[in-house]
Amino acid sequence: MITETNKNILVLGIGNEMLKDDGIGPKLVKKLQNFLPSENIDYMTSLLGGMETIEIMKGYDEVVIIDGIITDDGIPGTVYYMTYPLNMKTLHLSNAHDISFDMSVKLARRLNIPFPERIRIIAIEILEDREFGEELTEPLQERYGEIFSTIAGMVQESACCQ
Amino acid sequence: MKHRITIDPITRLEGHGKIEIFLDKEGAVKNVYFQVPELRGFEKFVEGRPVEELSQIVTKICGVCPGCHHMAAGKATDEVFGVTPPPTALKLRELFYMAHFVHSHIAHFYALAAPDFVVGPDADPGERNILGVINKVGLEIGTEVIKQRRIAQEIQALLGGHQTHVVMNIPGGVRKGLTTEQRDDIRKKAEGFIEFAKFSLKIFDDVVLANEKYVDIILNGPYALDLYSMGLVDDNNHVNFYDGKVRVVDQDGSEHCKYAANEYREYISERVEPWSYLKFPYLKKVGWKGFVEGKDSGVYHATPLSRLNAADGMATPLAQEQYERMYKVLGGKPVHNTLAMHWARLVELLYSAERCLELASDPDITGKELRAKIDRNKITGEGVGIVEAQRGTLTHHYWTDEKGIVVKANIIVGTTNNNAAICMSLKKAAEGLIEPGKEVGQGILNMIEMAFRAYDPCFSCATHRLPGDMPLIVNIRDDNNEIVQTVRRD
Repeated sequence: MITETNKNILVLGIGNEMLKDDGIGPKLVKKLQNFLPSENIDYMTSLLGGMETIEIMKGYDEVVIIDGIITDDGIPGTVYYMTYPLNMKTLHLSNAHDISFDMSVKLARRLNIPFPERIRIIAIEILEDREFGEELTEPLQERYGEIFSTIAGMVQESACCQ
Repeated sequence: MKHRITIDPITRLEGHGKIEIFLDKEGAVKNVYFQVPELRGFEKFVEGRPVEELSQIVTKICGVCPGCHHMAAGKATDEVFGVTPPPTALKLRELFYMAHFVHSHIAHFYALAAPDFVVGPDADPGERNILGVINKVGLEIGTEVIKQRRIAQEIQALLGGHQTHVVMNIPGGVRKGLTTEQRDDIRKKAEGFIEFAKFSLKIFDDVVLANEKYVDIILNGPYALDLYSMGLVDDNNHVNFYDGKVRVVDQDGSEHCKYAANEYREYISERVEPWSYLKFPYLKKVGWKGFVEGKDSGVYHATPLSRLNAADGMATPLAQEQYERMYKVLGGKPVHNTLAMHWARLVELLYSAERCLELASDPDITGKELRAKIDRNKITGEGVGIVEAQRGTLTHHYWTDEKGIVVKANIIVGTTNNNAAICMSLKKAAEGLIEPGKEVGQGILNMIEMAFRAYDPCFSCATHRLPGDMPLIVNIRDDNNEIVQTVRRD
């Protein structure tokens, strides 16, 4: 995939919507697309990490990644806000047959590929990402409205700060 | 005192695998288990679905080789409907598939294999990665890797409708054809693939074969297994990824069997071990004798190296030259050195590139007859599709009712074929590298992992998978299950 865009910001939902809470990133991004249409923002979803990340993200000034996360003792529905580089591992973007997300970013920059200066990550604490199912688990369904409002605010802030 | 070493990759996207190394009282390796403790179960999900939907459903099994599942499913579905696609459709499918191989083999060689050789097997893990490769061989190589891989993805997206969730195949053919402009564009791109494949083989020459230490690791390291070799071959016994018969040769290179897709159950059985959800296929007529090498053991491997071992040659001229050269350098056919899989993978990359150009130059490729006529009253009720996936022979077998609704499915994926071989390779590497009383360091850990990585395994479809560039923890435990040493790679 070649990204050709004149928009500055990419909001990227990562995850597999067939694996319950793993799909929260794409679900939120699809809703955001209708809620916050902007001449400045592209909205995309992706199942894949690795080198594919380079193709998706190149050309933008800023990328906001929305993904699920599982932390020790995390409360489902909690929203975390991080900026790259991270002090932790992003497990979803790893692939046995490819390179990690971190390595993809380093590779793109090493190769002087036009790549976002700012990479922000919004992670939602999830409960289940291994079982098949298109519905979110109950705790996430209950907090979905609250999660969406929080994230919409964060994305809006990114758009405004451009 | 019993020691236990656990190599436990912490990853979740496509699953979870674990390597358990048990040491004896003296600290030598006693046994090694490669465990896949989780289950995906696609064979059950597809029950009750119309068979024509399966080629779309199975691409969701995994994002690593969805095109392989799509092709095997397409072939099995053709058989359920009792039809053979017209030549244009078959050639379009194969053209898509060659691009799929180009993309996958480039990613494996440069991202996963090359760091071990270009940077060094015992180099600092912070350096032993694709950036380390680029630092050694030049920035322009990295740019070319990204470019060629992307071009291959674009061809797949053009022909397949989507590069990952492919929607190309329908019963009896394909959904859409190719225009002459698109064909001309693919031809140019295929010429680029050929140059890049030749260049990749040159890197292998300059960096690996020119280094005595690396050649010694390949030939004399603890990485050889005396197993049967499996691969799909055409009528001339040349390597083919899309069509043909499955050929198995023994440890001396003599043909053990050669079977058509619908005969696979006469030759292959699957065994279950209580400690893994991943099955262990073996050669039925030889039998399961445990995790042992030799002609009396039915364990086989289905890898780039086994495909070359099982064939009499390559169907394209440049790949044939490289095929002959590889066997000459490595001492003749067949080769049993696990790390030679990387070389074989590059020979296959060249073949895929050449075949891509051949197909794009074929007058049939822009033909208008894209589909054979389907008669729903002539459903056969059963179909088997076999292709070579990048990581081994892939079999899809469907049974349907008279309306074409799936009642049962059996899928033997590439990595599953190699389950026993991977366990044995890991044990052999661990035995050769772990010395009693000596600490297991990062270098040793990586060299054990190299035995695994050569297979390019993927367990999201087999059920689950392991490393590459991902976190790895090795715990060494004593009799009381207390950790006495931890090696960690984040």
